[in-house]
Amino acid sequence: MASLFQGQQMTGLERTAAALSRQKPDRVPVCTLFNGASRRVLGVDYPKWSTDAEECAESFIQAQKIIGDDCLTLLIDLSVECADWGQEVVYPVNSTAYTQTYNPVIKGRDDYYKIERINPRETPRMSMVLKVIDILSKRIGKEVAICAFIYGPLGVLSQLRGHEQVFMDCLKHPEAVMHAEDVIADVLCDYAKAMAEAGAHALMQDTLYASQSIMRKKMWEKIEAPYAKKVMDTMRSTGLPVLLHNCGNGIYFDAQQKWLDPVGISHAYPADDCKNWEEHAAKWGNQIVTVGYLTPSELALAYTYEDTLEAARKCIETFKDCNGGFILAPGCEYPPNGTVLNAMAIVEAAKTYGVYK
Amino acid sequence: MTPEREQELLKALADGVVNFEEEAVVATVNTALEEGIDPHKAVFDGLVVGMQECGRLYEEQEYFVPELLMCADAMYAGLGILRPLLKGDESKSRVKGQVVMGVVQGDVHDIGKNIVKMMFDAAGFTVHDLGRDVPLENFVEEQLKTESEIVALSAMMTTTMVGMKDIIKQIKEKNPKAKIMIGGAPVTEEIANKWGADGYAPNASNALQDAINMVASLKDI
Repeated sequence: MASLFQGQQMTGLERTAAALSRQKPDRVPVCTLFNGASRRVLGVDYPKWSTDAEECAESFIQAQKIIGDDCLTLLIDLSVECADWGQEVVYPVNSTAYTQTYNPVIKGRDDYYKIERINPRETPRMSMVLKVIDILSKRIGKEVAICAFIYGPLGVLSQLRGHEQVFMDCLKHPEAVMHAEDVIADVLCDYAKAMAEAGAHALMQDTLYASQSIMRKKMWEKIEAPYAKKVMDTMRSTGLPVLLHNCGNGIYFDAQQKWLDPVGISHAYPADDCKNWEEHAAKWGNQIVTVGYLTPSELALAYTYEDTLEAARKCIETFKDCNGGFILAPGCEYPPNGTVLNAMAIVEAAKTYGVYK
Repeated sequence: MTPEREQELLKALADGVVNFEEEAVVATVNTALEEGIDPHKAVFDGLVVGMQECGRLYEEQEYFVPELLMCADAMYAGLGILRPLLKGDESKSRVKGQVVMGVVQGDVHDIGKNIVKMMFDAAGFTVHDLGRDVPLENFVEEQLKTESEIVALSAMMTTTMVGMKDIIKQIKEKNPKAKIMIGGAPVTEEIANKWGADGYAPNASNALQDAINMVASLKDI
């Protein structure tokens, strides 16, 4: 019979590090991605949480105390990087910040060539994220893993141009798109280095468009892969584990492994070459650590506490034969309007069903 | 115009859409009109045939979002010239049904909605596109005003998708026969069922097929 303390011998940091290096931890680590939702624990409004490092960090800390995450992934929102190039951003009081795509920085082909290098240590939003990492690292970094998050070059560009336009420009003006990505990638490399210096334990890049939801594999390999690789190589040069996030459907595990070689991917759907999660776990589970794969909207709007326990149990069961290389998480950010109880249920499920023998 | 020439022009229109050649489509439309083509044929047997082929290629993962957007631009460039020339009666006879469509309040992510709209346009629906960040009551009012059979709601965020629940309730109260389908990245079949939606669309092709089935079921009634 398992001891009451079985599965509680390691800190969250040790547990996460063990999972990422496949040195079987005491139990499955958890990353609930309880990010925007954490502001409700502290009681700050969303604009404040998105722009004030102290309030943001304190929210993460208090939420972690309640929920018990082993790892925090610091996705604030997808407008962080582009805002520092001057993109207009809307900050709703009760929802995630987003870019005002009626008024994009890049209005036509020539504007791609006007994107210049900026210093993420000095620009408002990226420097704010660096400060959040610094605070978290000092306050809880000995116990909890801190995974810093960067939106990939094409993602940033899509925020500066508007999604529809950038996708069409990938066909109409690929050279202009790639020129801008090259500049953006250099800035993201500086950002990644600064994140490591601020105390992050792992670095994650979002490559959303490497999926069947958006573009063909060959197009992604031509348009984003070389620039995402530049960022990934720099991330790796810091000595930290490097991961990807991609919540698209049918994501290109093979192409991303070839170009970016992540230790783990945070994802919501199986790879494009697998029919279901069982097949995914069998094919990819021992090569790339899955961080997933609970459905965020169901956690927030449909599941009871018991439903969440059961859904999480299934995830753990699916990846039980991956030598510890699995982190239980939602497939994307925990809904900012979701119940905190279901986040707690995810941790309980890991403690109940995820103990490694 | 000889039947052979007409076929040649219609094929050029369809090919122009499939190959996303916006300028070529405009030029072909102008040539076809000069040569006396029936605008209805140019739309339904030319542009729409092309767009349907794009839909097929998308479904088979030959085309993805960038290609589909380019095809839509080509189709709408041709439609922009031809639409004012369509006569009411014949257009109506080709229409499959009416749909009110939009992205719910607080949400500006409209790429999915635009793709679904294009599929509906190509399939012969009359689309009442309310755009993005649409106040919830506008869906209810537009459905009543247009007597559309279908209301299609899209959202990309969990913070905004909760508005769908209220829209479904209000529309069902005002017009229980209206069919409501919901879609967008965070939407799942379980949530669609829980909120009383009639359909859940995991992708654009599925949305279209569901809509056709719904209209057929209403006609059976």
